[in-house]
Amino acid sequence: MERFEPTIVAFVCNWCTYTAADLAGTARMIQSPNVRLVRMMCTGMVDPKYVLKALLGGADAVLISGCHPGDCHYINGNYKARRRVKLLKEILTGFGVDERRVKLTWVGASEGNEFAETVNELVEDIRELGPGETSRMMVI
Amino acid sequence: MATTVSLEVRDANPTKALREFLARLLTEGLAGGVLAGKHLSANGGPQGAVMPTLVTDPALLETTDPLAPSFPLNAARLVSRLTRGEGEGSLAAVLRPCEVRAFTELVKLNQGAMDNVILIGFDCYGAYPNADYPRFIASRAPDEATLAFLAAASKGLTDGEGYTLARACKACEHPAAGGADLNIGLFGVDTGQRLLITANTPRGEGLLNRLALSDTDPAHAQARESALEELIAARSEYRDTMFAETATATESLGKLGAYLSNCISCYNCRAACPVCYCKECVFLTDVFDHKPWQYMGWARKNGQLRMPTDTLFFHLTRLSHMSLSCVGCGQCSNACPNGVPVMELFRLVGDRTQRAFGYEAGRNAEEAPPLTVFREKEFAEVTGGTD
Amino acid sequence: MANRIGVYVCHCGSNIYPRVDSPKVAEFAQRLRGVVVGRDYKFMCSDPGQDMIINDIRQLGLNRVVVASCSPRLHEKTFQNAVLRAGLNPFLFQMTCIREHCSWVHPDPVEATAKAMRLVAAAVDRVNWHEELYSREENVHPDVLVVGAGIAGIQAALDISRSGHRVHLVERSPSIGGHMAQFDKTFPTLDCAACISTPKMVAVSQEPNINLMTWAEVKEVSGFVGNYKATVRLKPRYVDMDKCTGCGLCLEKCPTKVDSEFEEGLAQRRAIHRNSPQAVPNKPVIDASACRVLNGKKCGVCAKFCPSGAIDFEQREREVELDIGTIVLATGFDTLDPTPLGQYGFGRFPEVYTGLQFERLNNAVGPTGGKIVMKNGQKPESVAIIHCVGSRDVNHHEYCSRVCCMYALKYDHLIKDKVGHATRVYNFYIDLRCFGKGYEEFLRRVQEEGVTFIRGRPAEVTDQALTPEEEGKLIVIGEDTLLARTIRVPVDMVVLCTAMEPRADVAEVARVFGISQGLDGFFLEEHPKLGPVSTATDGIFLAGTCQGPKDIPDAVAHAAGAAAQALALAARGKVTISPTVSHIDPDVCIGCKTCIGLCAYSAIEFDARRGVSVVNEAMCKGCGSCAGACPSGAAQIRHFTEKEIFAELDGLLAPVRIPVTEPEPGTAGAANGAEETETAEAQA
Ligand SMILES: Cc1cc2nc3c(=O)[nH]c(=O)nc-3n(C[C@H](O)[C@H](O)[C@H](O)COP(=O)(O)OP(=O)(O)OC[C@H]3O[C@@H](n4cnc5c(N)ncnc54)[C@H](O)[C@@H]3O)c2cc1C
Ligand code: SF4
Ligand code: SF4
Ligand code: FES
Repeated sequence: MERFEPTIVAFVCNWCTYTAADLAGTARMIQSPNVRLVRMMCTGMVDPKYVLKALLGGADAVLISGCHPGDCHYINGNYKARRRVKLLKEILTGFGVDERRVKLTWVGASEGNEFAETVNELVEDIRELGPGETSRMMVI
Repeated sequence: MATTVSLEVRDANPTKALREFLARLLTEGLAGGVLAGKHLSANGGPQGAVMPTLVTDPALLETTDPLAPSFPLNAARLVSRLTRGEGEGSLAAVLRPCEVRAFTELVKLNQGAMDNVILIGFDCYGAYPNADYPRFIASRAPDEATLAFLAAASKGLTDGEGYTLARACKACEHPAAGGADLNIGLFGVDTGQRLLITANTPRGEGLLNRLALSDTDPAHAQARESALEELIAARSEYRDTMFAETATATESLGKLGAYLSNCISCYNCRAACPVCYCKECVFLTDVFDHKPWQYMGWARKNGQLRMPTDTLFFHLTRLSHMSLSCVGCGQCSNACPNGVPVMELFRLVGDRTQRAFGYEAGRNAEEAPPLTVFREKEFAEVTGGTD
Repeated sequence: MANRIGVYVCHCGSNIYPRVDSPKVAEFAQRLRGVVVGRDYKFMCSDPGQDMIINDIRQLGLNRVVVASCSPRLHEKTFQNAVLRAGLNPFLFQMTCIREHCSWVHPDPVEATAKAMRLVAAAVDRVNWHEELYSREENVHPDVLVVGAGIAGIQAALDISRSGHRVHLVERSPSIGGHMAQFDKTFPTLDCAACISTPKMVAVSQEPNINLMTWAEVKEVSGFVGNYKATVRLKPRYVDMDKCTGCGLCLEKCPTKVDSEFEEGLAQRRAIHRNSPQAVPNKPVIDASACRVLNGKKCGVCAKFCPSGAIDFEQREREVELDIGTIVLATGFDTLDPTPLGQYGFGRFPEVYTGLQFERLNNAVGPTGGKIVMKNGQKPESVAIIHCVGSRDVNHHEYCSRVCCMYALKYDHLIKDKVGHATRVYNFYIDLRCFGKGYEEFLRRVQEEGVTFIRGRPAEVTDQALTPEEEGKLIVIGEDTLLARTIRVPVDMVVLCTAMEPRADVAEVARVFGISQGLDGFFLEEHPKLGPVSTATDGIFLAGTCQGPKDIPDAVAHAAGAAAQALALAARGKVTISPTVSHIDPDVCIGCKTCIGLCAYSAIEFDARRGVSVVNEAMCKGCGSCAGACPSGAAQIRHFTEKEIFAELDGLLAPVRIPVTEPEPGTAGAANGAEETETAEAQA
């Protein structure tokens, strides 16, 4: 059987995780090509609608990643993001969406290796879970 | 301790006693206006039309009937209108417990103010859906119908031929208005003799003092407490069954899609929702004004696309916006032209999200809505404990 | 008009191509909606690469541009400028990264190319919705407000005034100098505090560019970088500053005595008082809570004796409004009150002193005329100095106060010097932190003077003697952790090196100025390493110990940094306000104020008349906290609008036809006719 290739959308903040992704690239850290980045200024900018839209649009998982607590370029955007992700997880898991399909992590600007690992682990996790339901749904 | 007094009922007509009570508020200058449900049939409306009406002339309280089991809309929005910005004299609003709680949520979101309004709640036996109430009242005189309802409901007999109490009400575990300034006690009370009035706030206390009503017999208050507890127990049981059924019906996104199949994107649920406070829903803005080729693109993905689109998206977004503030009044279901069980969905998810944030919609005006605040250290589990 | 988009795919030499088949991606782009031209090129960032874009904009009438190359963090500005040179608004451009996030990290060329196509499709979809945006310039008011006139505030004010800019210096106490004015000697040089600070204080009072306001506080601040407005409350001094000559006659005649704050409670002062004869300004102030006349009683002695008729009981509080461009906060620190740490007996035993009290004991104009003596006038035979009281202690302050070790050593030396070499001095320390210039040398010098160092935090100070030698002494009980044994040290005097902590009103001051506090309670700097002087609020800078414990050299250096930063803005006279900030659509906003509570920069105000929230674009940093929360979508970040993000997602998630044949390395041409297939997700 053909290996399942998940589609994953990642909302990452410009100051930390996007920078870490650049660093991972510069250091040629091999990553699964399944994760596609959307550059945001801060995780605090990630409207829950974006996560929903990505999932309904066929993403098998969504990653939100920003600066570590206390390091947010905008002081505390990441704390607001954490509450919103908490809420989304509560809502979505009730509809059978596995918790791992909405992932929030902190990856600092210097953590290129951490970024590559996060990507690869997430892809493996989702590969294990199989395709998200939405990729086959006609109702969005 | 909250003070409870007894309001004497004459002619075995509690509705009349309540009207007199409201009239006193007006004549004694304790309130400049009273907002309460009123039968519009007296004004030429059809039989069964009961609408919140702002009455300033005590003589016109005649056909007000706040206890009528009719619930055409959640009046929290109206109280919000009446208290936003500069007011004129204070207002007394007679509301169902869920309306009081919805108003409390609106106040937190700067959509109204508690300062100039006396909230009068009452022990709520529930109400009939909009379609059912006219069948319930039939050709009876308003007071007669309401008294019959109170008598039957106190025995747990609410449903009849052509009318069934709203599911939201059957599943409502907040039948008394603990957050109102005054709550009119009906449960376990011989309403042919008296009504109990409890003050829950200093403002309520002050009002009762001014009105100098007689103290209640502690046994009466006790009887009400037990009846309230019993009712809550019964409703909680109903609610839990409803939750279980709804959870099964929506256990996957696919099933949720099916659950919402009949949704025609009229957004009536959100218009009827008392806590959906946006001027314009984001789903009506140009953000969702898609181009023809976009639809084609989406359709091509799986070969077919349900139109109208953004149905799941709308409901999931509304859940993310409002489930935390959902008071379970059931107006969404009441408003849906196509019978989508919206209330069941919102109550289920609201129960989960509110619990997750240790929040209860409408419990307390001081409690900040979860998404308007945050702490540095919390919810470590969201990131798998990496912070 | 339909958009005319140009897409440019870079090879980056061999960094992108051939791993990502750039020509193929360009060809793919050309087939996307709205794309007029898709090109690939060896080095897009080179001059010919940029010229290619410029020519196409001019000749093909492009009104949108997408570049797929390296990270936008490297070259976004480069391409925006190119676009601008061609006369197109630079925000009608989108860049997507196919190098760091693609060719460099995905070894499989087919996968890498497919991902690059998706990224390009997303960028094309997104750029459709881009809007023309313009950055704005605002004038910077040349005047600077400095709040707090301790050594840090003084340094900042002097530095700024010397550049010719006007400084408003607001000090809450009756005179300037802050804590340093209380000291006699300063470590590590032991030069006299007054000798080095008085010239600076006098310079402040004489500098025509400094408008010194003592006995004053900033009540409210509004506005934004370059254009702040501050309301300063001038408390009534009840002494006419113009008439008073500072002769001090009144100070002796006033019959009302209260404990002196400046003397740390070791002496009394009159109701009319000043800190010292050298105070700047040296004109007294009447303490309204103590003065008889101001409390409805009969007196007026000061007025009677004042030769210049300067006493004025009718003075009322006044307010002045200041226009300033930038603000330097230098409000300093408080010291921890050791009374709640009952075990050290402060307040119970008269011979237990705080560090600041000990400074006053040493001061030539202090309560003892500079003699280190006990309350009974006798010289102490032995003194214990307890370090880290309330510092490095999870029950009080986790941080190190950074000065206590050093001033303890200063006390060691002063005791030996003033009381006599035979005096026994015991230091109870945890670690000795002598990191500054000349500090380790100072430690060695003091060690050679024969003081005792005991490693361990004492458990208790008691007067319960167990042996005849302990009789009538204070006994410090602790553990010598180096020898691992309990010890009892009888002494005559105990000095507590109490922690430096945030000012008691720090939260209120933070609110007034719209800045934040760190976990330690001090004002929060913009970045712990690279922005220790600026704050998250543009145009507001920190100087000295209000940002965290510091000694004088560090406080002065910090202050000079703050002055330079404030001056940089003031001197340029303009600030550029980024356009990628929040905008709240007043027709959509319902006025719930959620965004206001979440904005870390106080950039949103409520317009009560219209009942909507309004963004102050000059204060907004574009973080999107408001947009992420606004349920109605009224608040949106320009250049990150919902339309733009949704479009990007559509592009990312649309099925993409990708070539299955591998490109031949080195062929830059479009590989026509390659077999194509749908991606997995499109078939699922
Ligand atoms: C016991 C002790 C001994 C020390 N000995 C030495 C030493 O020997 N050598 C050395 O290098 N360092 C020493 N230090 C450290 C030294 O005191 C500080 O580094 C220095 O005083 C910091 O200056 P500052 O201007 O930041 O703060 P401060 O001296 O605290 O000055 C702040 C000023 O701001 C004013 N202010 C506060 N709030 C407001 C407000 N809201 N509005 C207007 N004005 C306000 C205050 O009245 C004060 O005048 C010692 C510290 C202590 C506690
Ligand atoms: S984008 Fe950030 S800084 Fe700007 S108004 Fe919104 S929350 Fe405040
Ligand atoms: S969150 Fe949105 S609706 Fe609420 S005040 Fe802010 S901009 Fe207006
Ligand atoms: S800027 Fe990275 S999370 Fe806020």
